[in-house]
Amino acid sequence: MTNEMQKSEPMASETNKRRKNASLDRRKARAGWLFILPFVIGFVIIYLPMVVESIRFSFSDIQMGSGTFTTTFVGFQNYNKALFEDPSFAQVLVKGLQRLAFDIPAIIIFSLFMAIMLNQKMVGRGVFRAIFFIPVILSTGIMESISAMDILGEYMESSEGIDTGSGTNAATQLVSSMDLQRLFSNMKVGTEIVEYVTTAINNIYDIVNRSGVQMLIFLSGLQSISPAIYESCKIDGATAWETFWKITFPMITPMILVNAVYTVIDSFTSESNSVMSYISGVYSTADGSEISAAMSWIYFMIVIAIVAVVAAVVSAFVFYQRKSE
Amino acid sequence: MNAQNTEKKPVIKRETKNRIRVDFDRTPLKDRLKARFLNFYFLSRIVIWIFRLVLMVGISYIVLYPFLTKIAGSVMAPEDFVDVTVRLIPKHFTLDIYRAIASELGYWAAFRNTFLLSLISAVIQTMICALIGYGFAKFKFKGRNIIFLLVILTMIIPHQTMQLSMFMEFRYFDILGLVRLFKGGGIEIFGHNIKNIGSVSEIVDETTGEVIREAKAGWFAGFFEKLNILKFKQPDGTKGDTLRLFKYYIERRGQMVEKYRYSFEFTQNGVNLTNTYIPMVLLSLGGLGFKNGLYIFLFRQFFRGIPDELEESAYIDGSGTFRTFVQIILPLSIPMLITVFLFSFCWQWTDEFYTNLFFPSDTVNMLVKLVGKIPNSLKTDYAGQELYYSAIRNTCGLMIIFPLVIIYAFLQRFLVQGIEQSGLAN
Repeated sequence: MTNEMQKSEPMASETNKRRKNASLDRRKARAGWLFILPFVIGFVIIYLPMVVESIRFSFSDIQMGSGTFTTTFVGFQNYNKALFEDPSFAQVLVKGLQRLAFDIPAIIIFSLFMAIMLNQKMVGRGVFRAIFFIPVILSTGIMESISAMDILGEYMESSEGIDTGSGTNAATQLVSSMDLQRLFSNMKVGTEIVEYVTTAINNIYDIVNRSGVQMLIFLSGLQSISPAIYESCKIDGATAWETFWKITFPMITPMILVNAVYTVIDSFTSESNSVMSYISGVYSTADGSEISAAMSWIYFMIVIAIVAVVAAVVSAFVFYQRKSE
Repeated sequence: MNAQNTEKKPVIKRETKNRIRVDFDRTPLKDRLKARFLNFYFLSRIVIWIFRLVLMVGISYIVLYPFLTKIAGSVMAPEDFVDVTVRLIPKHFTLDIYRAIASELGYWAAFRNTFLLSLISAVIQTMICALIGYGFAKFKFKGRNIIFLLVILTMIIPHQTMQLSMFMEFRYFDILGLVRLFKGGGIEIFGHNIKNIGSVSEIVDETTGEVIREAKAGWFAGFFEKLNILKFKQPDGTKGDTLRLFKYYIERRGQMVEKYRYSFEFTQNGVNLTNTYIPMVLLSLGGLGFKNGLYIFLFRQFFRGIPDELEESAYIDGSGTFRTFVQIILPLSIPMLITVFLFSFCWQWTDEFYTNLFFPSDTVNMLVKLVGKIPNSLKTDYAGQELYYSAIRNTCGLMIIFPLVIIYAFLQRFLVQGIEQSGLAN
């Protein structure tokens, strides 16, 4: 092929080349479509009908018969019921959102911190890594719901008291957080920060459990920073603190964006989310399936709005390293 | 110290042909140790080292502690739960709970079903997501970004939103009306000797409409039933959707030739695919399974990190895109493949949502459905009942994740490796 090109006259080879390029581009585009074809087909044939159905269900009343079901259009009745007639949905929703506003920064900061720790050379790094990623693999799905109901674990944690255990555990938690609060108030920092930190510490298990994937993503980001940059920094006499803020942090911002979006999505859709479990609860009640569909669409709208806001805010701060091309 | 050394020149003590013994005028040991260990740099490093170790151990403890309490609770006898002095160390060591769960709740059947489901969907998901991720990473085409947004969308829409419609979709499964097309029609599959493949549900004489042979579970149908690929009986014993074998005659060279053909016979508008693996397989084939958006994203990041020159040289050598992908890219991405496989296998294994949705009846036992059930031999109604039941639930959880622990132990080194190799290039 190359031989032919060389032999042909310059003009001809130019046009030839262009045509070849164009056809190559087209061929590559076609190949690209072929590669993503499974998703496209699946999306169009399976997913899209389900989405449409789900939206339709949320606007209608379903009668389950034997072997078949009928739907009648009822307008916004289900949404009305979900938002205004259901006694606790709005409350659960607001509370869940508050909780998430708290959780998401905590998870991101914690996972970034841990990723940096795990990225350093230290004794037993492999072991710690293996342990830290255990929750990603093992504490999902069913284990999450088991842990949520685990009164035995609470009982074992509590140092005194015998009965069901839940009360005593709350008490010990309160005591420990009070201690922390005293510690922080001695340090004269704002009460908001104090409260934030104490709640984070009380929820540390939860946060550790949910930051596994984020840690992995941060680790991958940290690994991809060229050691040469760090080296030149060190030669110029930068401290670790400076290096972090001038090098690591800017380079890791794209990962922060990814993680922010992922954390929002993950915590909004996880089984342990209070709103989600409430919706699931409504689904399994009699006649609740349409209302639960309506609820989850309301919820989805909120989620997508939050994802958009988070993505917009974070991406304003993202630093992209120019590739030398 | 360096300055000192250069000032005082080393004295050559003895010199042989190929060895020189040089005597440095060294600072005394005490001073050297002092200089080495008592400076700010070293001390701060020690402090940081200790701080880091404590932190790491502490967080490891937080991660492992729940498992520890679960294990402790699982080997306790009922008496221990009313004993105030017993906390983490059991007084009466017993494996009763494990034994009861394994024998009474049908653990092994559930294990097999879950294993098959997880394995099938994990393999398919890994392959499909690798394909899709590669398509997004390495090819430029119109609409790429829009489709990738759709991938993100499938991640964002909470699957509870789709709960009802997903169930309906697979309960009355009918893609593009194909099923209704086949209904009553039937497809000829194996020609005329189909009798021997074992009975399906029943053989029906097409002309008279009478049932020639009632079904026994032959190996063919039995195979499908066992693997939960097709269900020929409803859980309540009534006849469900059937794959029927029709007997009919055609005339060939003046002779009547006996022929059989398969036909779907449906009781409803569409096939009931619940209690089979098919819904999960179909979702996985479309890259729509549990958390597949994340896998696609991970693969995309990973393949972006692979230099384009690699493929270009393959193209120049005349290899096609798909062949390049299989022969050159895939072998490079084994750590990532294993990572995604590990994720999808384990997450599918412990997943409640899809399992409960697609396996609503009790005939197909799944591991996650064991949780919350109390084995009959362990039922009690004394003071520590609540704690004891909680311990049983925990034990169930432990038994569910036990295989995963083994898999994780073997594959965890690929987890970090795979992720580390995926570049950042966003």
